[in-house]
Amino acid sequence: MLKSFFVTTLPQTCLVGLALGLSFFTTAQAQVTEKSVRETVASAIVAQPAAAQRELILSLKLKPSAEAVEWFGKWKEGAIFLLDDAAGVKTPVILTGAAAADDSFATLRVSDGTPLLGADGAAVRINPKEVEFAETDSGIRRAMKEVTDVVALADPDISKRLRAIQDAAVGQKVEKLPALQLLKTTEKNPLALRALEESIAIIQLRSPLVAERIGACQKLGDLGSLAALGTIKTILAETESAKDRPLVLAAEKAISAIGSHISRINAAGTAFRGISLASVLLVVAIGLAITFGLMGIINMAHGELIAVGAYTTYVIQNIFASGLNLSPFGMSISIPGMHLSAGGMDLYFVVALPASFLAAALVGLVLERTVIQFLYRRPLESLLATWGISLVLQQLFRLIFGANNVQVSSPSWLSGNWTVNDVVFGWNRVFVIGFAALIIVVTWLVLNKTSLGLLIRAVMQNRNMAACMGVRTERVNMMTFAFGCGLAGLAGAFLSQIGNVGPSLGQNYIVDAFMTVVVGGVGNILGTVISAFGIGMADQSLQQYLGNPVIGKILVLGAIILFLQWRPAGIFVTRSRSLD
Amino acid sequence: MTAQPITGRIQLPLLIVASVFLVGVMPLLNAYGLIEDFTLNLWGKYLCYGIMAISIDLLWGYTGLLCLGQALFFTLGGYMMGMHLMLMIGKLGQYKSNLPDFMVFLGHSKIPAFWQPFYSFPFALAMVFLVPALLAYVFGYLAFRSRIKGVYFSILTQALTYGAALLFFRNDLLMGGNNGFTDFRTLLGMDLRVASTQRILYICTALLMVSVVAGCKWLTHSRFGLIQRAIRDSENRVLFSGYATANFKLFIFVVSAMIAAFAGALYVPQVGIINPSEMTTEKSLEAVVWVALGGRGTLVGPVVGAISVNALKSWATRAYPDLWVLILGGSFVLVVMFMPKGIVGLPAQILTILSKISRKQQSIDSPPSISEPETIDP
Repeated sequence: MLKSFFVTTLPQTCLVGLALGLSFFTTAQAQVTEKSVRETVASAIVAQPAAAQRELILSLKLKPSAEAVEWFGKWKEGAIFLLDDAAGVKTPVILTGAAAADDSFATLRVSDGTPLLGADGAAVRINPKEVEFAETDSGIRRAMKEVTDVVALADPDISKRLRAIQDAAVGQKVEKLPALQLLKTTEKNPLALRALEESIAIIQLRSPLVAERIGACQKLGDLGSLAALGTIKTILAETESAKDRPLVLAAEKAISAIGSHISRINAAGTAFRGISLASVLLVVAIGLAITFGLMGIINMAHGELIAVGAYTTYVIQNIFASGLNLSPFGMSISIPGMHLSAGGMDLYFVVALPASFLAAALVGLVLERTVIQFLYRRPLESLLATWGISLVLQQLFRLIFGANNVQVSSPSWLSGNWTVNDVVFGWNRVFVIGFAALIIVVTWLVLNKTSLGLLIRAVMQNRNMAACMGVRTERVNMMTFAFGCGLAGLAGAFLSQIGNVGPSLGQNYIVDAFMTVVVGGVGNILGTVISAFGIGMADQSLQQYLGNPVIGKILVLGAIILFLQWRPAGIFVTRSRSLD
Repeated sequence: MTAQPITGRIQLPLLIVASVFLVGVMPLLNAYGLIEDFTLNLWGKYLCYGIMAISIDLLWGYTGLLCLGQALFFTLGGYMMGMHLMLMIGKLGQYKSNLPDFMVFLGHSKIPAFWQPFYSFPFALAMVFLVPALLAYVFGYLAFRSRIKGVYFSILTQALTYGAALLFFRNDLLMGGNNGFTDFRTLLGMDLRVASTQRILYICTALLMVSVVAGCKWLTHSRFGLIQRAIRDSENRVLFSGYATANFKLFIFVVSAMIAAFAGALYVPQVGIINPSEMTTEKSLEAVVWVALGGRGTLVGPVVGAISVNALKSWATRAYPDLWVLILGGSFVLVVMFMPKGIVGLPAQILTILSKISRKQQSIDSPPSISEPETIDP
């Protein structure tokens, strides 16, 4: 949607205006109005002398089109051949069709695309090795380059146009200025306009007028141009020796302005990464906040339930594509694929989300029935038993899916990014943030607004009392645990989009997840949210500040231990009169 | 943990026989070539693990503190010994330099100041105890002061271990990065590669283990041990009786850290390598498995568990490399669920079940006139 919005902003009319402003056409101007692009190219090829050739080529600037660039390409490659007729007039032709037995090809005129006919009315066939081809010299190629640049500047695709504008500044060639300034009068797209201003100012840094150079410095400082930083530094070094006081001042000011822009970008980037890490922590920890926080089960297999979700996503992706062959325990399981096109593939993630929730919830249900239900009164032992389970699950992943990471590709609507004011926002990260918010809201609603939530809270607060009131605690335990595990599965579907999917996926997150829940205060969803944000932001800021992820992480772990000195039960304490 | 009537009576002679066998008979058999050098070396390793398991049991089985950082203390002790051994390589290393190979590789030209004193063996030995003890003291002080207990203590020790492992994986800590220390040559002038040195190391390990078992036996049967177990069973009652439970816990935490560290220090010259992958929480949890499997709350159980799990591991990793982890994880779940007292408690458990069955049989034969209060297995 965004793309189509940009594409329509450059009407073809402005191109004519651009062309008319270019002043160095005299004779060619009249011809170009009646001649098509290929006719112009054809006449340029045979024109004499070289100056006339250049003039004809440059006349194409008036009608910037991709077609001209295409013909130039053929010309430069030597794919255009010159045929003399009886009168000695050369006709440029291209080859067409397949080679005959004598290596000859049929020909087409460059000027109008019709077959070239000989004197006898039959189509002329030529052997490319025997006929001379149209040559180019450096002057011609330079003229072609000029036209190509103009064509690129007029490209209707905004991303290509932007690149052309930015490329124009490279080398700071003053002669490129008129074309850019002209484009600026007609350009409507704000991004392109900004890029134009930037490129013009960068070129103006090399202007012969000192006032213009100072103006350019100011402009670039105001724009916070990252591309110009190096150039301005060079200018500063040069002018300091030339003792040009006002320019030096302007350059210094521009550099400091750009510097503060960079630090603003970094701060914004850090904040964004912090929030996105916090969301990841939150998504990973929210399931644990339920199984550990509410139920008191130390589920060391939580990480493996995350991996169950991630692998489910992987399987669904392959079902949508070309299927999957698995060979666990010497068996051979072949899952057929649906071979969907790219558009259908993009939908796989929509299916994978609920599927990974259900898969992990199912595994959780089985675990609860077989092992965990016997350990509700022995939390330390639940830690050990679930660790055993986590070992078993990890090994099962290895046996089923292999020890290496598997490939999960993001749907196209999750890959890509926005760049706002030089700060890059990856769509997958933005999506994680939005999704974390959604999960929190849903979890809160389930716990606080449904009858199941009421039962869950009752059983967690006092299991015996709830049982006395007729609550089927066993069933509630089962549902709660399965719900927590399902949330872990959802987290896995997410992590598959932003990281590697492998057997030890869960291990990378388990310590962080436990820390988040412990700091937040057990049994409190809001506490988990706040602690996830605290830990995420602290981690990313320290990383940015120290430039070292590991030391940052260690400091965060240390800070958590100290924080628990101050608030041993976490941010939010569940008040209770019971002692142990 | 009251002593079981039958197992209690035969325990002491059995212990003495086992100690004599481990300390005296095995090295003798090895000296006469009846036990392979490899086997003796393997048993030396098992015994080191056994000592670490005792240190875990001292915390978990006797005080109720499940520490997931014991592998950290074990490895720290190993690293301190490793630093001395690295310096003893001298110019025999690959780069023919006074510096340990990894430092040459990282481009250092001088031995850093904190490495210098490790040329002295007594200093290294002192550090084996002091560094882990200091870490345990600081962490324990902070944790016990704010009454962090139960699963929170476990999770925090897990985080501590995780953080330390991250740190030791870095090259700029100058502790060898992820390759750690290896390629040791001599210890106190003895060549580490000959069988007789390894035999001496084995005897040291076995002696250490016997003395640790004896020392812990004395400690747990003293008044201190009584309070220790009281803390495990109900910390609040002990607190309200006027005992500063935090100090008791801190003491036992530091002692167990030192025991684990000493085991680590003996482990390194026997195995010949130490690296940060030994420091991960998985290793700690694995050691907790030994204790649980062998039987916690006893002193012999952890050793039995450590030896049997590792012997099983040595065999299964060769016989079923893919399934080994499944066996370990699965057996762990089963032990936790069905054998809360582990291998050592198995005879007693079977006896209880048998007596229950026979009592049921009796009650069917002759209908009871008075209903007995049912005894429930805790």
